[in-house]
Amino acid sequence: MAGRQQAICDLRRLATGIRLNATRMVAIQGFGYLGQALSSAEIFAVLFGSGLLRPGRDRFVLAPGHYVISLYAVAAEVGLLDPRELESYGKDGALLEAIGTERTPLVDLVCGSLGQGLSGAIGFALAAHLAGEDRDTYAFVSDGEMQEGQTWEAAMFAAHNRRRMGRLVVVVDVNNSQVDGPVTSVIAIEPLAEKWRSFGWRVLEVDGHDVDALSSALASRSAGSEPLVILARTKIFGPVRSLPSSADGHFIKLDAALERALIVELEAALA
Amino acid sequence: MRNPPYEITLKPYGQALLELARQRPEIICLGADLTRQTETDIFRDALPERFINVGMAEANMMGIAGGLARAGHTVFVNTFGVFCTRRCFDQVAMAVAYPALNVKIVGFMPGLSSPGGPSHQATDDVALMRALPNMAVVEPADALEVRQAVAAIADRPGPVYMRLKRGETPIIFDDNHRLDLDKAQVLTGSGRSDVCIIAAGMMIPAALAAARLLESNQLTVTVLNVPLIKPLDTPTIVTAAMHSRIVVTAENHNIIGGLGSAVAEALAEAGLGVPLRRVGIGDVFAESGSREFLFQRYGLGTQNILDVAWRGLGLDRPVPSAPLIESSTGAYAPV
Repeated sequence: MAGRQQAICDLRRLATGIRLNATRMVAIQGFGYLGQALSSAEIFAVLFGSGLLRPGRDRFVLAPGHYVISLYAVAAEVGLLDPRELESYGKDGALLEAIGTERTPLVDLVCGSLGQGLSGAIGFALAAHLAGEDRDTYAFVSDGEMQEGQTWEAAMFAAHNRRRMGRLVVVVDVNNSQVDGPVTSVIAIEPLAEKWRSFGWRVLEVDGHDVDALSSALASRSAGSEPLVILARTKIFGPVRSLPSSADGHFIKLDAALERALIVELEAALA
Repeated sequence: MRNPPYEITLKPYGQALLELARQRPEIICLGADLTRQTETDIFRDALPERFINVGMAEANMMGIAGGLARAGHTVFVNTFGVFCTRRCFDQVAMAVAYPALNVKIVGFMPGLSSPGGPSHQATDDVALMRALPNMAVVEPADALEVRQAVAAIADRPGPVYMRLKRGETPIIFDDNHRLDLDKAQVLTGSGRSDVCIIAAGMMIPAALAAARLLESNQLTVTVLNVPLIKPLDTPTIVTAAMHSRIVVTAENHNIIGGLGSAVAEALAEAGLGVPLRRVGIGDVFAESGSREFLFQRYGLGTQNILDVAWRGLGLDRPVPSAPLIESSTGAYAPV
C-alpha cells in the first residue's frame, strides 16, 4: 500500500513537472498552447509515468497536434527526451515544433489537422492484429475535435471491428475548451458518455486531475471486449491559481509577470 | 505605390464584410471555430442573427452553405485556407461548385504565412479550387484590395474562393487604387521589358522589390498583379509576356497548380516561346516557423525572383543581393 501511495505521489509531482516545463516553453515566445498542457498534465503523467504504456512497443497517437507541448514536457521528465531540447521549442528550425508534424519525435502519429487521429490509431490496431503482435494502441484525443464527423466514423468502425482492434484505448481530455471558447458555447458535444456507449465503446469517466483514478482506468484496459474510451474531465488550467479566468485557454499570452507567478506557484508545489 | 516597409492595417476583411452585410440583408456569415482568427468577431457581435458558428465541422459547413445559398442567401464561409479546401473538397465540389451557388469561401493564412506547419499551411488551395468548374479564385495583394474585393466577390455571381493573409495586412497601393476583378494590373513598366514578373497576394512586395533592383541594374521590368487567378486575364498576361525576354511568376503556393501553372497554360496555348520560371514552393511540404524564416527557406523571397530572372537572362555579371528591409513592429516588409 505504501508503494501505491508513493507511486501516486510521484505521478502528481510528474504532472507538476509537466506544467513547469510547459510554462517555460511557452515563455520562449510569450504565447502558445499552455492551457492544453495545464489541463492534460495528469493524463500525460499517467500515460508516460505509470509504466502501463510500453514505449517502443505500444503505439501512441497524439490526435491534436498542438498538445505536443505536453508530450515534450513529460518526455523530458521521464528520460525520453534531452531536457535541453525544450529550450528551442517553437523556434525557427527547431525539432520541437509548436504543432506536431511528420518529423515530431516520440509519437507514432500526430495530427495537426484535428479529428483524424483516431482513424490512424485504428490503422495501427489493425496492423498489430494482422501481424499477431502484442502491441496496444493508445490515442490521446481532445474534446473539441469530436465536432469533426470523422471522429464518429472511426468510433463506429472500431466498435464494429472490436475483434480486430486488440487493446485500443482512447483517452480524451474533456477540458471544455476550443478556439472560440467553451465547447458548450460553440457546438455542444455532450452527453459524451452516452454517445460513446451508444457507438459500442466501454466508457470510463474520471476526474482527469486524479492520477489514481486515471491509473485505475488505464489498468482496466483488458476488462471488456469493446474498445475503451476514458473521458478525463479536466479544467483548462488544472489546479493552477495564478492565471486569471479571462486568460485564453486555447492560445495564451504569457507576459513576464504572469510567467513568474506561474513558475513560483508550480515550484512551490514541487517543494 | 508606397514604399516598404509598408504600413499595416488590422481586419480590413472583417470590417468590409460587416459594412457590406449591413447594406445587404441576404448575406450570411459562417465560421468553424476560428471567429477572431477570420476577423468575423466584429460581424458576430454586430449581426449575431446572421452569424453561424458550426464548430470544427467544415464538411457540414459547406453543406449548410449550399442549402442557405439555394434558399437565396449570399454566404461567406470563413476558416483557414487548408480547412475549407483540402479538408472538405468533395463537399465544396458537390454542395457549392457544381450547383454554382453564391458561396464565397474565404481561406486565411495562405501558403507559408502560417507558422503551424503543413497541417495549417494552405500550399495547394489555389490548385484545388482552380480545378473546380464554376469556381473563381481571388487573391488580393493589400488591405485596399481586400476591402474592395469583399463587395466585388459578393457581386460576382457564383462561387468564389478568396485566400487572405491573416492579421496585419500591408497597405501597398495608393488610396486611389482600384481593384478590377476582371483584369491583371500592370504595376510597373510599359511596352518592351527584359523581365516580366507576374505575382499575386503576399508575393507582390517581393515582386516590386525585385523589380526595383533589376531596374537599378539597367534592366527593364514589367510587374503584373493578378488578383483574379481564375478566370485568368489571359490577354493582359500574354501581351506582357510577348514583349518580355523572360517571364517570372511568383506565388506563395506550390509551383504546381497555382498562378505559375495558370500562366504557363496561357502562354503555351498562345504559342509563346518566352522562357518561364516559377518562383514558389518547390513541391514539398514545409515546416513550422515564422513567415520570414519560411519564405527564405522555401524560396519565396526577393532574392529568389532576382536569381531566376538573372539566370534566365543568361547575364554573366554576379546577381545583385536583395538588401534586407528592416521592419519595425507594426510594419510589413518583403522577405
